[in-house]
Amino acid sequence: MLQKIAPQTLRIIVLLAVLLVITLFFTSQIDGFLSGRLFNRILSSVAIMALVATGQTLVLLTRNIDLSVGSIVGFVAFATGSLISGYQEMNPLVLLFYSALLGAGFGFLNGLLVAYAKVPSIIVTLATMALYRSTLVEYSQDKSITTNNLPLWLIDLPNQVLFSLGEMELRAGFCASVAVVILVHLCMIKLRPARQLYAVGSNPEAADLAGIDAARVVLVAFVVSGVLAGLAGFMFLARFGNITVVAGLGFELKSVAAAVVGGVNIFGGSGSVIGAFLGTILVDLLESGLIRWAVVSEFWREAVLGALILAAVASDTILSRRLTKTRAARAHRATLAAREVKP
Amino acid sequence: MIAAAARPEIPGRALLLVDNAMPNPTLALRGVSKNFGMTAALSDMTLELFAGEVHAIVGENGAGKSTMIKIMTGVHQPSSGRLEIDGVAVTISGTKAARLRGVAAIYQEPMVFPDLDVAENIFISATRGLVLHRAAMRREARALIARIGMALGVDRIAAGLTLAEQQAVEIARALSQAVRVLIMDEPTASLSAHEAAELRRIARALAQSGVSVVYITHRLEEVFQVADRVSVIRDGRHISTRLVADTNPQLLIAEMVGREVGNYLTKMKSTAEDEVVLKVEGLSVEGVFEGISFDLRRGEVVAMAGLIGARRTDVALTLFGILRATSGRVTYMGKPLLLASPQGAIAAGIAYVSEDRRKLGLAMELPIRWNISLATLQRYLSRLGLIDVAAEQDMALAFRKRLNIRTPDVEMPVEMLSGGNQQKVMLAKWLNMQPDLLIVDEPTRGIDVGAKAELHDLIRAFAAAGGAVLLVWSDLPEVLAMGDRILVMREGRQMAVLDSADASQERIMALATGQQDAA
Amino acid sequence: MSARLQSWEGLLLATLVVIFAFNTWATPQFISPGNQINLFQLSIEKIIMALVMTFVIINAEIDLSIGSMMGLSACAFGWLFQQGVDPVLAIALCLAIGAAGGAFNGWFVTRVGLPSLVVTLATLIGFRGLARVLVEDRGIGDFPAWFDALGQQGLIGPLPFALIAFAVLFVWLYVVLEHSGFGRLTYVIGSNKDVAEFAGINTGRHKMMIFTASGLVAAFAGLLFAARVGAVRGDVGNGFELDVITIVLLGGVSIFGDKGTLVGTLLAILIVLNLRNGMALLNITGHIQTGVIGILLIASVIIPRIRLGLAGKAAP
Repeated sequence: MLQKIAPQTLRIIVLLAVLLVITLFFTSQIDGFLSGRLFNRILSSVAIMALVATGQTLVLLTRNIDLSVGSIVGFVAFATGSLISGYQEMNPLVLLFYSALLGAGFGFLNGLLVAYAKVPSIIVTLATMALYRSTLVEYSQDKSITTNNLPLWLIDLPNQVLFSLGEMELRAGFCASVAVVILVHLCMIKLRPARQLYAVGSNPEAADLAGIDAARVVLVAFVVSGVLAGLAGFMFLARFGNITVVAGLGFELKSVAAAVVGGVNIFGGSGSVIGAFLGTILVDLLESGLIRWAVVSEFWREAVLGALILAAVASDTILSRRLTKTRAARAHRATLAAREVKP
Repeated sequence: MIAAAARPEIPGRALLLVDNAMPNPTLALRGVSKNFGMTAALSDMTLELFAGEVHAIVGENGAGKSTMIKIMTGVHQPSSGRLEIDGVAVTISGTKAARLRGVAAIYQEPMVFPDLDVAENIFISATRGLVLHRAAMRREARALIARIGMALGVDRIAAGLTLAEQQAVEIARALSQAVRVLIMDEPTASLSAHEAAELRRIARALAQSGVSVVYITHRLEEVFQVADRVSVIRDGRHISTRLVADTNPQLLIAEMVGREVGNYLTKMKSTAEDEVVLKVEGLSVEGVFEGISFDLRRGEVVAMAGLIGARRTDVALTLFGILRATSGRVTYMGKPLLLASPQGAIAAGIAYVSEDRRKLGLAMELPIRWNISLATLQRYLSRLGLIDVAAEQDMALAFRKRLNIRTPDVEMPVEMLSGGNQQKVMLAKWLNMQPDLLIVDEPTRGIDVGAKAELHDLIRAFAAAGGAVLLVWSDLPEVLAMGDRILVMREGRQMAVLDSADASQERIMALATGQQDAA
Repeated sequence: MSARLQSWEGLLLATLVVIFAFNTWATPQFISPGNQINLFQLSIEKIIMALVMTFVIINAEIDLSIGSMMGLSACAFGWLFQQGVDPVLAIALCLAIGAAGGAFNGWFVTRVGLPSLVVTLATLIGFRGLARVLVEDRGIGDFPAWFDALGQQGLIGPLPFALIAFAVLFVWLYVVLEHSGFGRLTYVIGSNKDVAEFAGINTGRHKMMIFTASGLVAAFAGLLFAARVGAVRGDVGNGFELDVITIVLLGGVSIFGDKGTLVGTLLAILIVLNLRNGMALLNITGHIQTGVIGILLIASVIIPRIRLGLAGKAAP
């Protein structure tokens, strides 16, 4: 029965189950855990990280890693903020486009260095993480963006309630983010070039021999990751209003963590955007839960997050190894059976 | 030569008999040479491939077959000479360009994407249309699979496919791109006999439908089962192209090695003594092989023969402590041997020279000296754990002399050496251990004839000095020349242990292919 | 080792000389002994960790958790000290925590078979979390005077303890890597783990030792920090792993393992320190300095590749 389900589907089911278990656990432990306020807070924070984690997933699928996303988020948030402070009456769509374009530019530089200069992505993005951050520091000239500089529509934007159920509200920021995730997910399933991400990640040599332009595929993954980080920067600006040079610090590791917990293989080729999205929620839910849980200090949340990543990856590896073994055994039995049949 | 437009493709053998009506070849190499630095991998190679034929290409390892494939598929560019398609000179700039021109290759190790399903794997390099139409894609995939004549669900995830099924996916992928020249590089090397027959049927069917099939193989019998014409290449040069009907295995072998076979394959005299070094009884690893039983005496050479997939290497790996035996008993030097780890095996005096130089045998980027001393590093360490470089160097230089390793010094990376010399470095690593039992796995694969003979002598000398040798060897003439006794395996079972006096190539082959049952 | 690496080290040396000369010319106080010692002191934790990271990366692994381990060790020391534990015992306990944390990483890499990138990414978060559990959002200080003095004052003449420890560790590890069996195996396992395994080498134990050493030295670095600064907080060592890896890669160690030397790492350390110090003396901010180092890092990978390309594509 379990063998009939595709491994990816199985992963999503497991993730959903784990989400449910954790929610039930905290509900039983913490008074008013299922409150609207907490729900809304988690969704607002997921809204930003989900975008970054989606981009990270695409890059991870190609056997690369993008450690510069945190710096991109910070830079774009700051640059977008300073643009709109100068031109308050600017068209919102133009502003959004500006964010995406900045992100695309950063992603393009990463992608060029990785795909065409053939520098390992961990080195490239380690370097550009520092580089983009220092560009931000130089650009900011020790100033920061504050809510006062921003037009009202921007600050209100993520908090517009689109739909509410009792205290639980679905706000515009979260909905926009979910829409993007679903859009990317559909692209990943439906678009021909998107499937090549999997091909390049799972067997680069074969991809090359099959005539796939692997360098271009990797470049595109980095550009999309940059665009999504840029959009996340826009959301970051709208949500927090106050932007300093440390905005987005640490997002790179958190996004990798969310993707990995969501079942994306760090060595490329397998995983899904939906999985990474669920991973983001899982990570956030745990953090929020642990902050409120009276039994342990709120400072445990990072330690638990680390343990969670290890557990997720370890169980994933062990399970898939076992699956491979079962398959090999089955194939062998089939061979034996065929031999008996043959006269 | 006048450039001409493509002519209608005429299928099959008929065309080959009518010389004056020859259309342009679908693909031709004309005087192609390829140099890598100082070495010439191909020299003045000329080869014509016609629509509707299965064209076998045979040659020893290192003869230039893979370079030739890489030139035809655009991975390499010729240093001189040209490629023609339908009589028109072309430049094929890469694999993608090759595919667009209808030239595709499939390899022994299929290139599939484990996380995608069969249909997606087939159409992965298709470029038409941004959006996938899954229903249409599945339908077309089914049609292609049907054309190959295989039963294979198009929704299956590629990770779960057998090797033969993965190859079918690759062939279907090539067909989906309107392939005109399909190069099959040792496609049956890893398949069972049944699957191999199926694949040859597919190759014939493709030729019948007008594809020009290039069939590269090491198994000469296959040439006569599948091909219309056969070309022999040797040392990067074209030697001959003949109709299969006009040739025979002996002639092909003579052309492949460039002289009459046999002069380096003289039967070696047995040096076997009475003392049994290794006694294996009913050794099995569940799901891999079962019921292996044999003795190995001091000074004796036992060769394990069989086709790929016979699981001989797995037996060797079990004796070396890499695979875990699930049942059976191994007695070594009169005592039960616990097969737990390579460390244990090495401590007991067992050495294993792997078949896979690149992955398991040598640290390619590191110096020759480091590689030779790797298994015996303890001997060159002072009490503080520091390496006595002088002693290590003396040893490495001594081995360079003794094994005739051709290198200016022992400090350069082992990857700079030729295949045969790399093999000798690997052997040196294990001989320095002075083992009692030497297991050697496919030692002469991919090395030239001269080095082969040297390796034969080295292994024989080791046995003559009182060592016991277990060989895993696929080349039957070599097995017959080297082995005192021959253990034939087939699909994980021991078929027979033959005295080399009673053995013949035909007998071994019959056992290995299952045409003759286990005695 | 090989000619390529020697010439890479030559290039590093030339770069160093240029930077050194420029600094001396641009700011006269640069060459003073006080500034030279200070230059090492300010980054002493990073450069000590870089020595062990050289082993980790040559072994074809990575340890992202060292910055967090350093923080955990510093915080553990602060916490233990606050609980009234004898400082000497606290130091020993912190070093034990470092070794245990490193062994924890090693266990997941060698026994469970997970990639070290993932394992140490998780412990990067986890160890940092434990550090925060210990000190929460406080700062802990007021350590004994002898402890602070060890970090802040000269031990032998003007040379502080940490710098002497660095020098001793460098010499020792240099001998280990270049001349011992352990060092040899570090290269071989980094080049091809399976070849080593087939030659009867216990690669798991070897990697375990390297990860344990990495944790131990990170804990040591945490203690040095506590002594040097005289106080600890939850974010001690945050982000240090990236600076350390940058130094090691800049020194010519290949991210794919088996290539590099400690001399290269030392040259990279000197380049980075001199570059940062020179920029600081010219009032260039830390973030910009980091950006410049980032560019250097990418250049360090691209330049040898371009030179290789110019030398001709000899290999098939």
